[in-house]
Amino acid sequence: MGLVQQVIEASGIATVTLSWIPELTRAVGVPRLAGIAYPASRPLGRPHDADGQRAVLRATLEVLASANGPDTYIELPFEWPESPARARNASRDHPPPPISELLRKKPWLLPRLLSGRIPEDET
Amino acid sequence: MPIDSYRFLDFASRQVMKAWAAREEAARREGGAAAGHPTPIPFTPLAKPLRECTVALLTTAGVARREDRPFDQEGERRNPWWGDPTFRAIPFGSTEADVRLHHLHVDPRFAEADLDVVLPMRRLAELAAAGFVGRPAPTHYSTMGYILDATELIAETAPAIAARMRAEGVDAAALVPA
Repeated sequence: MGLVQQVIEASGIATVTLSWIPELTRAVGVPRLAGIAYPASRPLGRPHDADGQRAVLRATLEVLASANGPDTYIELPFEWPESPARARNASRDHPPPPISELLRKKPWLLPRLLSGRIPEDET
Repeated sequence: MPIDSYRFLDFASRQVMKAWAAREEAARREGGAAAGHPTPIPFTPLAKPLRECTVALLTTAGVARREDRPFDQEGERRNPWWGDPTFRAIPFGSTEADVRLHHLHVDPRFAEADLDVVLPMRRLAELAAAGFVGRPAPTHYSTMGYILDATELIAETAPAIAARMRAEGVDAAALVPA
């Protein structure tokens, strides 16, 4: 997503990313970043929590106006209302993605993933 | 307290994400433009006050209109190193009733109950009605965020999204990894 943000920004549109994994997004190098300590799959907040979602979106958009230069990073002050264990538990019956299954069976492929030497087709 | 969303992940995913961040940082430090990281990072100042801006949203949650082509999950099941690098346009006003999520790394149940948890078009409309931003763009966007080889994403998908945003007079965009 960080790379897409760079392309849109370079085309003349001001951009901000709302990221629940800001360390990773920031490592790519982006113009404006709002970090939030929320779990995956619901970065704006819980379903049907309109007030909470609106506050997160508003705080994210504020970074568009407040940033003076690239690599602006703001940590948003919102706290997820459940414990991490409870948030993880909500998705425990969601199947793991194919790459996780593959690496569980063939953990020696993990360095390939991290090196960026992506195999053409290796399962 | 620094942001630590890794605590919401299981141990294995946490290790992969941390190692990935270290890899990106090393690539940016050492390779710069050669590694696909433009140097310096682009920056476009906001052209006008937020209350006058047309705003577009982009999620990586693999959202597609029900009548639109799904993101290719079968391709990723065949080759776990591959992810569909295309994008889908989501017209403003689309709701969870109009879309499906196609993303093997995202639990789709939250966004299929309330699309605003990944693509907050209703919240954006409320902020426009309150005068905080100008207006929502006519079109919003989704990619599918699991892309290990970003070549096509950068060469084709991102420029196509940017061109359509510009054609619709978008001043500012908020991007939301899922």
